[in-house]
Amino acid sequence: AAPRLRPRAALMARRPELLCGAAILLGCAFLVALKVTCSRAKDVTMPAKLPVNFFSTRSPVIDLFRGQLDYADQLRQDSEIVLYFFYAPWCGQSIAAREEIEHVASRLSDQVLFVAVNCWWNQGKCRKQKHFFYFPVIHLYHRSFGPIEYKGPMSAVYIEKFVRRVMTPLLYISSRSKLLDFLSNYEPGVVGFFEFNASPQPPGYLTFFTSALHSLKKDYLGTIRFGVVTDKRVAEEISLVHSGSVYLHRHANTSLIYPKDIMNFTAENICKWALENREMLIRWLRPHGGKSLLLNNELKKGPALLIFIPYNPLEEIHPLLDEITKVALEYHKCNKSQAAEPDLQHVGDSDSPAFDSSVTDAHAKFSETFPIAKSPCCNTVVLPQWHSISRTHNVCELCVNQTLGVKPNKVHVPHCNFLEIEAALDSFYLQEHTFFQVISNTIECSNFLSFYSPFSYYTACCRTVNRHFLSFISSEKTIFQTPKVAFSSHGKKDNTQFSIPHIEDRNCFIPDLNISSTNITGLSCRTNKTLNLYLLDSNLFWIYAERLGASRSTHLKEFAAIVDLKEEVHYVLDQNQSLVGPTL
Amino acid sequence: VRGPAGPGLSAPCLCRRERVRAMFYHAYEHYLESAFPYDELRPLTCDGQDTWGSFSLTLIDALDTLLILGNVSEFQRVVNVLQDGVDFDIDVNASVFETNIRVVGGLLSAHLLSRKAGLEVEAGWPCSGPLLRMAEEAARKLLPAFQTPTGMPYGTVNLLHGVNPGETPVTCTAGIGTFIVEFATLSHLTGDPVFEDVARKALKALWKNRSDIGLVGNHIDVVTAKWVAQDAGIGAGVDSYFEYLVKGAILLQDKELMSMFLEYNKAIKNYTKFDDWYLWVQMYKGTVSMPVFQSLEAYWPGLQSLIGDVDNAMRTFLNYYTVWKQFGGLPEFYNIPQGYTVDKREGYPLRPELIESAMYLYRATRDPTLLELGRDAVESIEKISKVDCGFATIKDLRDHRLDNRMESFFLAETIKYLYLLFDPDNFIHNDGSDFDVVVTPFGECVLSAGGYIFNTEAHPIDPAALHCCRKRKQEQWEVEDLMREFYSRKKSKKFTLKRAPDRGEGENAKDPEDASSEKAGEKRNSKKSSHSLLSCPSQSFNSKLAVLGQVFLDNT
Repeated sequence: AAPRLRPRAALMARRPELLCGAAILLGCAFLVALKVTCSRAKDVTMPAKLPVNFFSTRSPVIDLFRGQLDYADQLRQDSEIVLYFFYAPWCGQSIAAREEIEHVASRLSDQVLFVAVNCWWNQGKCRKQKHFFYFPVIHLYHRSFGPIEYKGPMSAVYIEKFVRRVMTPLLYISSRSKLLDFLSNYEPGVVGFFEFNASPQPPGYLTFFTSALHSLKKDYLGTIRFGVVTDKRVAEEISLVHSGSVYLHRHANTSLIYPKDIMNFTAENICKWALENREMLIRWLRPHGGKSLLLNNELKKGPALLIFIPYNPLEEIHPLLDEITKVALEYHKCNKSQAAEPDLQHVGDSDSPAFDSSVTDAHAKFSETFPIAKSPCCNTVVLPQWHSISRTHNVCELCVNQTLGVKPNKVHVPHCNFLEIEAALDSFYLQEHTFFQVISNTIECSNFLSFYSPFSYYTACCRTVNRHFLSFISSEKTIFQTPKVAFSSHGKKDNTQFSIPHIEDRNCFIPDLNISSTNITGLSCRTNKTLNLYLLDSNLFWIYAERLGASRSTHLKEFAAIVDLKEEVHYVLDQNQSLVGPTL
Repeated sequence: VRGPAGPGLSAPCLCRRERVRAMFYHAYEHYLESAFPYDELRPLTCDGQDTWGSFSLTLIDALDTLLILGNVSEFQRVVNVLQDGVDFDIDVNASVFETNIRVVGGLLSAHLLSRKAGLEVEAGWPCSGPLLRMAEEAARKLLPAFQTPTGMPYGTVNLLHGVNPGETPVTCTAGIGTFIVEFATLSHLTGDPVFEDVARKALKALWKNRSDIGLVGNHIDVVTAKWVAQDAGIGAGVDSYFEYLVKGAILLQDKELMSMFLEYNKAIKNYTKFDDWYLWVQMYKGTVSMPVFQSLEAYWPGLQSLIGDVDNAMRTFLNYYTVWKQFGGLPEFYNIPQGYTVDKREGYPLRPELIESAMYLYRATRDPTLLELGRDAVESIEKISKVDCGFATIKDLRDHRLDNRMESFFLAETIKYLYLLFDPDNFIHNDGSDFDVVVTPFGECVLSAGGYIFNTEAHPIDPAALHCCRKRKQEQWEVEDLMREFYSRKKSKKFTLKRAPDRGEGENAKDPEDASSEKAGEKRNSKKSSHSLLSCPSQSFNSKLAVLGQVFLDNT
């Protein structure tokens, strides 16, 4: 170690001089900025850098980078609609959102005032008055109403859509066809009827308008749409007679009229009433990125069909979404008399006579008059593979049709008796040779009488499905690989092959809709397992699709999967199959 | 096999990686220019100071980061500088703990990586070499501290004279239980068991002195074994003790260490965990003493990922991330109920812990949220703490005032983990698909196959190296068998070598969907059920969807 000591000693000798020299020299150089005291360089600190422009000076966004909140408030007088973007200059999310805001501002700057406020700088008013736990925070004001916080995705299209909703929270519905358009949407609609003839503004209109804004505060996804009807004849279509009445449209259940006599007609109440009573045929899932139980809560409700589609909220028409809506409506469509009852008492007797017709009206656009009178109970059977080499499955839709009237008590049984299906299956087997001779892509149907009951007969519709059509991914892969007959039973809960009931749901969607649409119709009512429908924007949440087996490098980001959290299985729709109604 | 083309590959854009690289050189070059040979750079005054001793600490600490960034030539240059310039025969009072993790750990990892860095290694490598001798020399200087009645070391030692007379016998828990990784590696490489023995003895003493409810306090008298500070938690004063139980268990495939950790883990969950936060409690009674989150505690999710508890890790990580979003850094103390910093504990010295956890968890889940934290960290550090001469400690997160310090862990850990987060193909993430074969005096040896264990200062240790320097017939045969198998298969197709002892780090927390890892797990279990304590549990079904902030409640 001796030779090493020498350079070390030289080094030590150099140090004091170095220390002092450096401190004094640098001390002078940095004196202004650093407040250096030469003797005790240890205590040197430096205040944070002064804030600078966050947005470029040419940007349509007014950048109050010194956090001038008072000035920001003044600016509100200048514009009917104001968007505040509270940011912290160091925050990655603020930096990422900056571009998006600029984009929206460039499109809407003539109608909306965009104000960015540095709410971090501790000398600024904003930091002193507001206490945020995250950045950026976006607040919107519609005149004096606000703040409405935007909590959606930090993407320009979504922000713009929301700003536009704040600009026009109420949609003016001028004609019958517009009304039908409005009501046929998959998202819940609230319609208010106000006659604008006598006074400048009918009583209650402002309240209704405010409630529309209010709903944007509560329901940041903006699922509930608010519309206003001024024409008496149009209003009658939805049985609104008196000016000032409000109507909540529902597809599967009875629509409602705001019970003025029970609840005060205030903006908060209307909004609350709509939120509580709205019907969610299909829900958008938009995880905000922070810790959340959203998927946990939704998926624990039961098996869920997750549909991933690329979505641009700004587009006027969404053909794919309409297609999905159709499927959802058909799925949820139940025996009307059954469903209409429970909610009637909610509305009160006086207003209800025209209800059924209005519901039918709204449905008229879609419904292709489904023959659901007999409510057959159906099951899908995957037949054993006859030729082990062939890449096909024979999928049969097996229905038990009971003849009406002979055994009246049986008609009311909502879903299939396990034994019946088993019996049907047995007899079906005896006939199976008929089907195996014809392997084609067409659907073959045949009726045959039950051996056990003279009152029922079975319908079997079979088709051959290419095997890659069904790609099952689950922890229980083996079940599907064994070429065994898989049949499902709704009635029996202790089915040991637990993953099988879902094969039914899945397969129901596979045959061409033209023929099997009856099977999907009202499926949610016939089966005791309901399938919840969810939409996810694949532009934002494709990663969940990937997790469920979607390929990560596909150009068309469409994907559908059924997830059953309880049973720990999921099924995916083949990605090569385009995502359209018939496939669903 | 989920290779580098994981779902997140497109996400960690290489531009971020390059920004991190630029950050490193900004700090590193200014250290060399203005501060070397002092321990640390003072970024506001552009000079240097000695902090933990006098061994050019920042240079030693940053050495392996250079290699991870791919700068082979600078690595070689620095190794030569250190060999000539650093001397441990000096009259300096040094922290036993800090000297071990920064100096011994840094030298060991540099020694083990020196072949990869293209340095000419001597014949006996990895069982001998100049850097190994330096590490051993430094470690020997620390041994006198372990001469206590309990076997638990003093906190401070004089490098020349040993423990000073009148030295306080009070040491923090981490200062007692954070030696096994470096010391066991030293013992295995040099063949001298003394290091591993003292480290194990200290660990056992702590284990023996845990409270009835299974917790340890954060300061103890090493002579009398009485707890001086009885706050129990996972953060300051305790943190790396738990960390080293897990990492020691993986490194040495030691079930005893792992079962100790699992016992502690149970008690920690029982008494300190509330809503995915971990609080401080009284070690005997279990009553909450401080409802705070400490910046240092942010290593915990990373540690949980190492034992396969990925769900809980993500949930806690997301809690911690909200604190980052509030301030642009993690305050030393954060009062959870008040949602604000604690008086006098508002600083953020650019600590690595949260980024470290993000790096581990990203290997396990590929959740883009973790890259987002990385992005936020890059933006924050650049916007707030970058000054002309380097990166300055944030003295106060409330107003972002800066302090005249750049701790050596900024280059050793913070930058390294950030870079590794954004560089999915780094050699450190090797999953065993390639490796080097080295001929040692003890036979052939497989090295650099991956599964590196990072010490608590982020110095990676190749666990395979521990098996190179001892003559063990059985092991040798095993290796030879594997080699034969490898060469016979190599002719036909690419062969992935997987061996239980090589597994660690990223591999242990590997994606549950990874078919090959599942298979490997099964094979192991059927062969030797005794390994189960050291292998990860399978992940729950819903963990597939536990990304982008989504968490799931237990299925029960």
